[in-house]
Amino acid sequence: MKLTSAIGMAFGAALAATGAVAADFPERPINLIAPFNAGGGTDLLLRGLAPHFEEAVGENVFVSNMSGGSGTVAASALQGQKPTGYQMAYMSITVSTIQPQIKNVPYGVDSWTPICSIAASPTMLFVSNDSPFQSMEDVVAAVNAEPGKYVFGSSGPGAITHLSMVSAFSGLDLMDKVKHLPFKGSGPAIKELTAGNIHFFGDTELLMKRGDFRPLMVFNAERLDSFPDVPTATEVGIAAPLNELYLWGGLFAPAGLEQGTVDVLAKACDDAVHSDGFQEFANNSGTVINHRGPEEFNAFFRAQYDANKALISAAGL
Amino acid sequence: MSRHLNERVFVLLALLLSAVALYRSSLTLSFSDVGSAHSPVFFPQIILVLWIGLTVIALGQTLMQSVKAQPIDGVFRLIILVAASIAYTNLLTMYGFFLTSALFTLICLPVFGMRHPAILTGYAIAVPGALVLLFNHVLGMPLPTSPFTHYF
Amino acid sequence: MLSSLPDAFALLFNIEGILVLVLGTVLGIILGAMPGIGSTVAVAIVLPFTLSMGQAPAIILLLAVYAGSVYGGSIAAILINTPGTPQSAATCLDGYPMAQRGEAGLALGWATVASVIGGLVSAVVLIFAAPELAAFALEFGPIETFALILLGMTCIVSVSTGSVVKGLLSGMIGIFLSLVGGDPITGEFRFTYDKWQLYSGFNLLAVVIGVFALSEVLIRASQKVNEVSDLVSFKGIVLPKLSDWSGRVRNLVKSVLIGNVIGVLPGTGAATAAFISYAEGRRSSRNSENFGKGEPDGIVSSEAANNAVTGGALVPTMALGIPGDAITAVMLATLTLHGITPGPKLVEDNPALIGAIFTGFFVINLLLLPLGILLSRIAAPVLRVREAYMMTAIVLLCAVGIYFVRGNPFDLLVMGLAGVGGFILRRQGFPMAPLVIGMVLGPTLELTLRQGLILKDGNFLAFFQSPIALVLIIAATIALCLPLIRLGLARTRQVAQ
Repeated sequence: MKLTSAIGMAFGAALAATGAVAADFPERPINLIAPFNAGGGTDLLLRGLAPHFEEAVGENVFVSNMSGGSGTVAASALQGQKPTGYQMAYMSITVSTIQPQIKNVPYGVDSWTPICSIAASPTMLFVSNDSPFQSMEDVVAAVNAEPGKYVFGSSGPGAITHLSMVSAFSGLDLMDKVKHLPFKGSGPAIKELTAGNIHFFGDTELLMKRGDFRPLMVFNAERLDSFPDVPTATEVGIAAPLNELYLWGGLFAPAGLEQGTVDVLAKACDDAVHSDGFQEFANNSGTVINHRGPEEFNAFFRAQYDANKALISAAGL
Repeated sequence: MSRHLNERVFVLLALLLSAVALYRSSLTLSFSDVGSAHSPVFFPQIILVLWIGLTVIALGQTLMQSVKAQPIDGVFRLIILVAASIAYTNLLTMYGFFLTSALFTLICLPVFGMRHPAILTGYAIAVPGALVLLFNHVLGMPLPTSPFTHYF
Repeated sequence: MLSSLPDAFALLFNIEGILVLVLGTVLGIILGAMPGIGSTVAVAIVLPFTLSMGQAPAIILLLAVYAGSVYGGSIAAILINTPGTPQSAATCLDGYPMAQRGEAGLALGWATVASVIGGLVSAVVLIFAAPELAAFALEFGPIETFALILLGMTCIVSVSTGSVVKGLLSGMIGIFLSLVGGDPITGEFRFTYDKWQLYSGFNLLAVVIGVFALSEVLIRASQKVNEVSDLVSFKGIVLPKLSDWSGRVRNLVKSVLIGNVIGVLPGTGAATAAFISYAEGRRSSRNSENFGKGEPDGIVSSEAANNAVTGGALVPTMALGIPGDAITAVMLATLTLHGITPGPKLVEDNPALIGAIFTGFFVINLLLLPLGILLSRIAAPVLRVREAYMMTAIVLLCAVGIYFVRGNPFDLLVMGLAGVGGFILRRQGFPMAPLVIGMVLGPTLELTLRQGLILKDGNFLAFFQSPIALVLIIAATIALCLPLIRLGLARTRQVAQ
């Protein structure tokens, strides 16, 4: 497919030099940037989406990786590009709303044209299956009984795994009584959870597939269908805004993208996300699809940007 | 003191000064005040102190013995190639892989004694061109392209 | 597991399976052998193709490319002194001197046999002892890992050819370079001076390629121009004779074991194993005084260990669902995409698939020998092109390789500067292998040290209460002090005379 399109391109080379107006969009390949390494979750999600996006938009779509700095390097680089619509990045809650508020990066809430949201999964609090804790009440009692003994892990400072634990323990007013142990990536952290060196870990439902773990609480508005016995954070006694936390992500282009181009991309994104192929992919990979159009996503993104300020100050970042 | 002894001392002094400067800057970096293991500069400072100590020992050793460094045969060639390498790695993403690589090849080949114009041009176009064709158009994982066209 | 073998064979030995096995290994060897292009880029190239394949072929393709590129890396390391991956850096130390002596074919022969044996043994270990080894991996918490990494750091002394002080200094520079960027505990940026390009730190590969490959090009430019790149004379792989192995088998066995054990521990990896094994080989080999001057034992130590890691890293991946390194993480993610959930029940739930993967891994390692011999014979004429063509192509390939590692333009500049810096330091007799060790081990050393201190409330003595850690720390102390004491003794003797 790539080869034939290369040949096609060679024939079309002469035509490409003609002037560009929004009506012609797109007239060359579109680049989806994964701000993390090839083969990671974000990268594979984009690679799963790309062929369907390609079909919907009628032009080649390729995924490239630009990793580093917890995703901020890719976002910083994209922010400095002209808003042509040919480059978009898949950014998660942490890259788009947390990192710019805790680090000195050249982008902020106004640097983007949100195109569409793609996925969102509520986070949960997990313990190892052989842990004595059966409920959040057990956890609260144990932490109060022995302050400083219990440790929660994370895949890195400022990551969603860190923030979900901050929501839990800050929401329960226990932040001073537990220790935070960051790891490099969730692999080593999960290993220590299994080995018993850390006691709590926060992640999405997907973690359940990776080992013998027990969820005690979910940061969602209501209980999950897949875990009807696991209470929501609100039920456990955590007040807004810390009671809900989703790992969401979507496509962003640099700020100031022409409305005509936004419409083309948003339409393509809508079609791609709802295509049978991508639905099947999402099903296989455990991705929870949550599609929003440009206006809706923009409003959601800005609301999250402000709401997460509470989380940031609670985390002490 | 010979010219080469100076070069040795100069490199070690440069290493010493950079380590001291880095250490100084780590003192002024403002971080949230937390315990030693939590401090971001806790470990780097240990390493920098070791770095400084080792450089001082190496300086002492160097001043005591007089080993000649290898003479450089082609100073001029070297300077050209260093400048070309830095420029190449710096400009590659701005002007695209093909253009910068072709230019770099045109500089690099003569440095290594290859001056036939036809071969020079042929190599400068064929090798980078083949790489661009392979990665950008066959594998679909493009190298940086120039601001002029998205084909190379 | 054995009962599922017929199903596993059916999955593996069909036309698609065999094609994927052979082509993947060939592609891996070729990409790995190109200076500047290593396992990461090789896997990135084939990743898109795996998405449209079945479960077994997809994983086999990744494995074949991975194992092939680890082996291929030794070819570039030995023949042109430019390791494409950090794990072949230790192979350069003896491989290149041997090649310069005119024994390039034999050097590659040792590397090939050691790689194949390392890989095969690790495949067998993987098939029969994965659960036990995985349980062992769980014993290694932050404190134990810290002690292991500390032991690894002592390799700096043994790979310091020439001056030990300069070797240690190189090591410190390497560690420091690896610390720039985000702090792993607090997330704050250090030594970045508000430049976002520096937020992701200095990329290991960019620095390795710079100080080895690019600085090699600069060194050659500073020397007399050669008409033909008589880098080394090479006509093809020459396998070592059986009699050559006398006295070397112990070293081989030990290296394979080191590779396996270190591979099992998440967060360490092939480069660590290669260097620790090299240091151990140098300590215990009866040819230890020849290390660094083209000693086959040095090549065997490094190559047997780094190939054994590939199997070792699959142990926690398959038995616990926890990736052992970056490449196994990609494999896990690929499995997930194909609807398979990695985790403790992976083997239980998918015996045929896992059987096919393990068998495939075994076959890949068997294939390395004939394919390596064949490919090196085809590639031999490439080495006889003029130096000018070779050097230019190396720089271009390095640029391509570094660009695809993480797509960061800044990494290219880092490679350029590392090349110039490496050239200056190498001229002054600074060995570069310690710098690589420092960069590879530095981040883990810091992270585990600080994790341990957090867990034990800042009490460093707690590090000595873990039996595993205590043994490793004592071993590290001995490894560090012995060469220094020996050096001191030799010096006093010299003075006395």
